[in-house]
Amino acid sequence: MVHGQKRPIGIVANPESGCDVRRLVSCASVFPTSEKVSMVVRVLAALGSFGVQKALMMPDKSGIAAGVRRAILSHSATAGDPWPEVQFLEQRIEHTADDTRAAVRTMLTAGVRAIVVLGGDGTHRVVASECGATPLVTLSTGTNNVFPDLREATIAGIAAGLCATGEFDTSEICRRNKRLNIRFDNRHEIALVEVAICRNRNIGSRALWNPDDVSEIFVTFAECDSIGFSSIAGLLRPTSRDAAEGCSVRFSHENPVSWVSAPIAPGLIRNMPIGLVRPLQLGQQIRIDADYGTIALDGEREIEFTAGDNVCLSLDREGPLTVDIRKTLELAADRGLMASRISHSPNP
Amino acid sequence: MTTELNKELLLRAYRMMRRIRDFEERVHVEFATGEIPGFVHLYAGEEASATGVILHLRKEDYVASTHRGHGHCIAKGMALRSMMAEIYGKKSGICGGKGGSMHVADLDLGMMGANGIVGGGGPLICGAALAAKIKRTDNVAICFFGDGGSNQGTILESLNLSSVLQLPAIFVAENNGYAESTASRWAVATGNIADRGAGFGMPAAIVDGHDFFAVYEAAGEAVQRARSGGGPSLIEVKVNRYFGHFEGDQQTYRGPDEVKKLRETKDCLLLFRGTVTKQNLLTDKELDQIDEEVKNEVEDAVAFAKQAPKPQASDLLTDVYVAYA
Repeated sequence: MVHGQKRPIGIVANPESGCDVRRLVSCASVFPTSEKVSMVVRVLAALGSFGVQKALMMPDKSGIAAGVRRAILSHSATAGDPWPEVQFLEQRIEHTADDTRAAVRTMLTAGVRAIVVLGGDGTHRVVASECGATPLVTLSTGTNNVFPDLREATIAGIAAGLCATGEFDTSEICRRNKRLNIRFDNRHEIALVEVAICRNRNIGSRALWNPDDVSEIFVTFAECDSIGFSSIAGLLRPTSRDAAEGCSVRFSHENPVSWVSAPIAPGLIRNMPIGLVRPLQLGQQIRIDADYGTIALDGEREIEFTAGDNVCLSLDREGPLTVDIRKTLELAADRGLMASRISHSPNP
Repeated sequence: MTTELNKELLLRAYRMMRRIRDFEERVHVEFATGEIPGFVHLYAGEEASATGVILHLRKEDYVASTHRGHGHCIAKGMALRSMMAEIYGKKSGICGGKGGSMHVADLDLGMMGANGIVGGGGPLICGAALAAKIKRTDNVAICFFGDGGSNQGTILESLNLSSVLQLPAIFVAENNGYAESTASRWAVATGNIADRGAGFGMPAAIVDGHDFFAVYEAAGEAVQRARSGGGPSLIEVKVNRYFGHFEGDQQTYRGPDEVKKLRETKDCLLLFRGTVTKQNLLTDKELDQIDEEVKNEVEDAVAFAKQAPKPQASDLLTDVYVAYA
C-alpha cells in the first residue's frame, strides 16, 4: 500500500436529487436520504482504508449530514477500521444549488485532491461549474442519470482513495469532458449531457419528461444504452464522450421524417417524431430562435425566455475532469498498489 | 399532460392565493384584539401549495385539512364571510360557530374540515377515496398534512391502506420545517418525507412550495393518475409559514431574520406576479385590481363576522346527532 501525506477528499451529496416530479409520471424510484447516507459511509470506509485522514463534506438540513454524523458516532463506538475525520463545512444553507457551489469553492480552497459527487446529472452540472481542474468521482443517486456512474460507492471510494495517494497523474486516470455553454443576457450556464429547448413557459417543477414540450435537444455525447432525452440522439447518431463533436436532434411534431422509440425516463418509452439529426461541432455557435419557452439543462428546466432574448449555445471541451474508476483500479493493480495493500493485511 | 395555464386560470390562481394571504394577515391582526376565541394557526406563506393542488379539483373531490386549514378551505371555495364568522364563533359561521378555526368544514364543498388532530386527515380521505372507488366515480381525495403529521401512525397507516387498495388518494405533505417548534430536520428520520413513499410502493416527489407553477404541475400529474385509476401518490411540498405555530407563539426557535428574508425572497405571490408579468401573460393592473377587490372582500368578511349573532344556549343541543331518516 502507498504511504505518505494524503490530501483531503471532498464529498458533495445532494439532498434534493432523485426526488423530482418524474417519480409521478414515470417508473423512476425515489432515491432515499438513508441510501445516500449509506453511500457516503461506504465511501468513507474506502477512503479510510487508503489512509485518507480527512474528508470535507457539504452540510445540509435534509438528513444526509445528520445521518453521516450518527454513522460516525456508531463507527467510533465499535472501533472498526479507521475512517477519515469528516469536517462538515460551515456555511449558510439556502436549499438551493448555491449551497453546492459554495461547498465546492471551500473544498478547492482547502486543497482537496478530488471531489466525490453523489447526485444526478443536475448535481454534477452545478459542481462542474465551480470545480475547475479538480477531478470528480461521480456517483449516480438514481436511475435517471447519464453523466455520473451508477456503481457501488465502495469502489468509487477506492478510486478516490487512490487519487488521494498522489500516485497517478491526472492525465492517466481522468477524462476531460465536453460541455455545452448557454449564454443568456449576462448569464453563463453549462450542461454536461444535454440542453433541451422546451415550449413550456415556466420552469415549474423543473424536471423534463413530456416529449410534447420539447422542440430540440443538443447533446455533448449520446449513448444508445442511456436513459433520458439524450438516448434519442444515442439511438440515431451515437456519439461517444470522447468524440470531437456533439449532436443535435430537432423534433417535428407536425411533419416528422422518421420516428424513434426511446426511453426518455425509467419505464417511459415514447415514439419521438424526428425532424433533423446533425452533428454539433466544437466551437459552433447556435442561436435559439423561439417566441418563448424554457431551456432545460441536463433534464431540469432552468431558464425562461421570451422573444427578443438573446440565447446562444456552443460546445467545447472545457467540462470537468472525471476519474475513470475502472482505469484507476486497473492501473493500481498493474502497479501493485493493491497487492502491496493485501500483504499488509492481517486477514488470511 | 399539458401544463399550460390559460389567462382565466392564472387569474383564478392569483385571486385564490391573494384571498388566503389577506384573510390570514387580517386574522393575525384581529386575533390580537382578543375577540376571536380559541386558537388559530395561520397559513400565510404556504398559499401556493393549497392553490396549486386544489385548482385541479372539482366540487365532488374531497379534501381533508389540518389545524392550519384556512388556506385549504378558501381554496376549496368556502365563502370568506361564513369562514370568518366561524372563526369568530358566530352563529352565521359555516358550522354555526361550533367548529371554530380548527374544525371549519363544509361537506357540500367536499371540504372535510380543518382538523385539530395532527395526522387526522389520512383515515378520512381513505374513506372518501374508497367510496369514490366503490361507486366508480372518478373523484379523488386529498389529504394535506404537515411534517409533524408525517410522523403520526394515522398517516403511515393511511399511506399503507391507500396503496394496498389502490385508492384515488393524494397525500400532500406540507413540510414547513417545524412541527410546532421542533425542526423537521431533527424529527423526520428520513430527512425527506417523500422518501417514505417507496416503503409503501407509492410514487412520490418533492416540489418547491413557494412556486405555484411547480406545485400545480406536480399535483396535476398526481390528480390525473388518481382519477384514471393509477392509485395514490405522495407529494412533499417544501414550504415556509410566515407566522408562528399558533398566534401568540414567540418563535424563539427561528432565526432573527428568517421570516423577513422569506417574505423578501420566497413570497409566492411576488414570485407569481414576477413570472406572469415578465411573460406578458397578465398585467400589473389586472393583478392590482384583484388585490383591491380581495382587500374589500376581507374587510366585508370581518365586518360581517363582528356583527353576526352569537349562538344561544339552545344551540348547544342542535347539530349533535345526524338524522339518517
